[in-house]
Amino acid sequence: MTALLELRNMTKKFGGLTAVNEMSFEVNEGETLGLIGPNGAGKTTIFNLIMNELKQNSGEILLQGKEISRLATHERVKRGIVRTYQVPRPFAEMTVASNIRVGMMPDDLVLMISEPPDTAKEREIGKAVGFGDRELAMYPSELSMGDLRRLELARNIAADPKLLLLDEVFAGLTVGEISQISDLLVEKKKQGLTYIIVSHDLRSLAPLVDRVVAMSFGEMIAEGSFDEVISDEGVQKAYLGH
Amino acid sequence: MDRTGLGKALACWAVFGIVMCLLPFVVTTGTLRVFIFANFLAMFAMSWDIISGRTGYISFGHPFLIGVAGYTTAMLTYHLDVPLFLSIPAAVLAAMVAGTLFFVPALRTRGTYFALVTLAFMELLYGLTQVVQPKITGGTRGLSGLPSVVSGAVPNYYLSFLVMFAIGIVLWLIVRTRIGTALSAIRMDEDAVKSTGLNTTKLKLFAFMVSAAVAGIAGALYVHYLGSIAPRGIFEINFLFTILVAALLGGPGTIIGPIIGAFFLTCLLEFLRPYIPGTERYLIYGLVALVLYYYAPKGLYGIITWVLERVGVIKPEGAKA
Ligand SMILES: Nc1ncnc2c1ncn2[C@@H]1O[C@H](COP(=O)(O)OP(=O)(O)OP(=O)(O)O)[C@@H](O)[C@H]1O
Ligand SMILES: [Mg+2]
Repeated sequence: MTALLELRNMTKKFGGLTAVNEMSFEVNEGETLGLIGPNGAGKTTIFNLIMNELKQNSGEILLQGKEISRLATHERVKRGIVRTYQVPRPFAEMTVASNIRVGMMPDDLVLMISEPPDTAKEREIGKAVGFGDRELAMYPSELSMGDLRRLELARNIAADPKLLLLDEVFAGLTVGEISQISDLLVEKKKQGLTYIIVSHDLRSLAPLVDRVVAMSFGEMIAEGSFDEVISDEGVQKAYLGH
Repeated sequence: MDRTGLGKALACWAVFGIVMCLLPFVVTTGTLRVFIFANFLAMFAMSWDIISGRTGYISFGHPFLIGVAGYTTAMLTYHLDVPLFLSIPAAVLAAMVAGTLFFVPALRTRGTYFALVTLAFMELLYGLTQVVQPKITGGTRGLSGLPSVVSGAVPNYYLSFLVMFAIGIVLWLIVRTRIGTALSAIRMDEDAVKSTGLNTTKLKLFAFMVSAAVAGIAGALYVHYLGSIAPRGIFEINFLFTILVAALLGGPGTIIGPIIGAFFLTCLLEFLRPYIPGTERYLIYGLVALVLYYYAPKGLYGIITWVLERVGVIKPEGAKA
């Protein structure tokens, strides 16, 4: 079976710093993968490479067996990969509903003009992440960190993805907010959505992932089930910094 | 925007249209001539706003687009006696081609650098019109004695108003759709727009083409209204600033804003004329613009909607025009 997404020998250098070094891993359809590692390990950089927000120095990205390294960001999205940002990036001068609207838009100028926005679907997506009508009319500046992260998720779900890249979706959230988002992700997993999730909050991560890849200084240091990876000596060292 | 504000917004447009159509019955010919300029300025400002107010790509080169259209129709009619119904569409087309030139720097940069490159386009054309084949362009003195579309203050007023009004409504209808939302999103965070799966290059090209077409229509009609064209009148920094200030003053990123701004600015300039006859007037309005822009970044449109919301005429977040 071909993997949904496969990275082969991906390398990314920033000047003299090798942020990602010969990383290879894959994620299968319907599988959920945790990507862990200490600060600066290169996790966000990997997401940037997958989305073409950064260009790799070498290596290949395959989506369902097809090399996609040449595709622009929006084309990768159209093929089903979307991401959230570690620091949420809402469209600041738009309501939550309009933010979701942008996420849902077809990449077709004629349709954008001729078809009215599907407000019922916007509501439904909002509701899926826990937004009611009141929140839908709010502006990002009025939202809590938890709400902003939910907005990112909503905008992602709106694009109807095959593969979701989640970057620190639990950071800066209250316990209540974490469990809300966690429940949502469990639900999405049940529906068969594939995702790669980056999180420092290992406890919240544990129930969400089928498999974990650990990295440090741009390199993979362990791979396996959650329990295997966190009891790995190298991983413990990397986290404790000895 | 959804349908909630539609009725009220349409009513606003209708009232605006009716009032403007009745003006010739109540004001003098002199005043009407002032309003003709306001109409043209409104078109230029709306054109600027579609690129810069919407997508955040600040253009300092709109006189370039206007000039390309103006010179195209001027040269066609002056030298070749091409009829206006052909020369004006040709001018609009030429402006749109010129608009694609704007697009090249926009592929790589935005902000200051983009603004400077567009300014360079304007300067380049300023130089070109003077040195390249003065026989064709008229050199520094330009071309005069160009045919007019209609003659007299009242017909010219109606022509300029109706074209301006039509452009306003068309643009308003366009930006009310999802494309308007997407273009605004580009201003806020272009990379985030890409990562929702939209080709921002295509969206920007669309906005630039629409903007250039509007600049072309307005520029061509303006030249035939004046009956002449000269490099000094068009590729001038004051002209550029008048357009910019009109849009910023009225309320960037709205359609009605630039129209309000254009009328306010033109009237202010006329009002000041007896007191300050020279170009110092530009200083004053620059100052007014700065103050307004500093204290009310959403411009006059923002102030008006704020007041209307306070007195309860419209609901907050209601009819955005
Ligand atoms: N655009 C960039 N230019 C230069 N260096 C960068 C850039 N982006 C990331 N880096 C560097 O690459 C390394 C990996 O960064 P990255 O953001 O991928 O880490 P991370 O694993 O996501 O860390 P964190 O857990 O803190 O989010 C870091 O040393 C970082 O400073
Ligand atoms: Mg990171």
